[in-house]
Amino acid sequence: MASQLSIAGFVWKNLWRRRVRTLLTLGGIGMAIGAFVGLVGFSRAFEQEWMRIYSSSGTDIAVIQQTFLNTSVDESAAEKLKALPVVALATPMIYNVMDLTTDVNALAYGWKADSYEFKSLQLLSGRTLRDGQAEVMVGDLLAGNLNKKVGETLEIQGTTFTVVAIYHGGSALEAGAVILPLDQIQKLSSLQGKVSTIHVRLRPAPAGEAPEAYLKRAQAQIEAALPGLRAVPAAERAGNNQFVRLAHASAWGTSSIALLIGILGIANTMAMSVFERTREIGILRALGWKRSQVVVLIQLEAVVLGLGGGVLGIGVGWLALSLLAALPETASIVSASFPLRLLPEALGISVLAGLAAGALPAWRAAQLSPVEALRHD
Amino acid sequence: MTSSLFEVRSLCKSYDEGRIEALRGLDLSIEAGESIAITGPSGSGKSTLLHLLGGLDLPTSGEVLFNGARLGSDVDLDTFRSRHVGFIFQAFHLMPTLRAIENVQLPMLGWSRGGFNRAERAGELLKEMGLEERAGHYPNQLSAGERQRVAIARALANDPDVLLADEPTGNLDSVNTARIMEILAGIQKARGMTLIVVTHENDVAHAAARQIRIRDGRVEG
Repeated sequence: MASQLSIAGFVWKNLWRRRVRTLLTLGGIGMAIGAFVGLVGFSRAFEQEWMRIYSSSGTDIAVIQQTFLNTSVDESAAEKLKALPVVALATPMIYNVMDLTTDVNALAYGWKADSYEFKSLQLLSGRTLRDGQAEVMVGDLLAGNLNKKVGETLEIQGTTFTVVAIYHGGSALEAGAVILPLDQIQKLSSLQGKVSTIHVRLRPAPAGEAPEAYLKRAQAQIEAALPGLRAVPAAERAGNNQFVRLAHASAWGTSSIALLIGILGIANTMAMSVFERTREIGILRALGWKRSQVVVLIQLEAVVLGLGGGVLGIGVGWLALSLLAALPETASIVSASFPLRLLPEALGISVLAGLAAGALPAWRAAQLSPVEALRHD
Repeated sequence: MTSSLFEVRSLCKSYDEGRIEALRGLDLSIEAGESIAITGPSGSGKSTLLHLLGGLDLPTSGEVLFNGARLGSDVDLDTFRSRHVGFIFQAFHLMPTLRAIENVQLPMLGWSRGGFNRAERAGELLKEMGLEERAGHYPNQLSAGERQRVAIARALANDPDVLLADEPTGNLDSVNTARIMEILAGIQKARGMTLIVVTHENDVAHAAARQIRIRDGRVEG
């Protein structure tokens, strides 16, 4: 005996009836969700890598002026910080993005030779750099891409630097970066005496004081000692620096446009489907189907399209992220691990996209007069 | 209060902002278990009357009472169609993507009842129509007569009180016409259902116990 007809089975048969259109619509929404997974996944991975920089070095607070790229903090502020009772270590540094070859640009850090940040790096070969020397340490990921070894030279913005170490960093942003002596990068950038930020490691919190309260007290103490500067907790700094914010904004902006196009694709498919099936909707109404049941049928078809596209898109996005993690140009800012948090978000957005796209066609279908619908050719 | 199954009072239905008057104050009473043929020339309002009796549309004025309850106000039209009425159309109106047995299940899908085996019920109805072997076929794999028998099985799915048939033999040859009318008459007698058939065909009309002729939107005679 044939199987029992269910709403799900009916939905499937309706979609499969015009399979080319269904597959094209799935492709459209799949690309949109793929763009979302790829772009937002990229920006999240970027943020995670920033967080790893702070966590691997044990930095609690970053002292900055107002904005991330503003390299106008006086280097001398580090000494004032070291005098504060809550501060264990303070190290000034510069971040910059520099062209290393015509194809490859990378993050360049300027560190002092005595920076505590070196302890978070694993030296694979060579030694740490010295202040005042034209020396450079190269992250293993970047060294592989540039095919550089210890003892070779690397030209950075017209100055030749000797590679003194290949290191592995806790973050892909470090593994794909170069580290120069602070004074050298200041010279390259004509920013003598200035730094981007001062990283601070706090002394352990006194017994009985909650870590959050201690962090707030330390922030207040630092900001009181250095008027005009901000003391930002590392976690906030990782997620709220201008690089990350720009990446998030670009990712959401671009994927929103892609999603809008995907939603319009489903809406178009559903609107055409409702128009073509006007008589069938009239038959269902004549057979006693309520308006709400017709709405559920059309919305389910739209949601299945959205969800199917979502699953396809997750695959496309994962492939895109894997590709980005493998490409030399982007390997330094994306790790190969897939951000699992994106899965429920992508599926949720797929369902919402289906519901939004199906709403108007479903409403129109429900408004059809059964008699008029039955007369429709 | 009335004892009739249907009580139709001063029924008017106009279209195109009143320019076309399909029904003009029609009165009619139909008892439960009657077999009725509605006849009349094209455009006389036969199908419009059938639609209003079946709760597919609302009158411009007047009322249709079903067991004393006014359709559209005392009784919700969707619920009425789902539980009390079975429709049979001239063009069969089967879903092309569904097998015969699945088409028969459609009305049951619109009226969710727990513990009800839709496939089993559909299978029994198709067997009653002599289509047991054709249950797994799609409409385009069935002859016109078979399609109409599937449509009759579908109309019976929710065990309605009334069968409304709009030119049920209009697309059939004489052999299939005779068979369909035999089936409908058999169902009406065996189940004690009310059968209302709109038809142009004299043979079909004469098979009914009562004939109502409509002309210019009113019952003639």
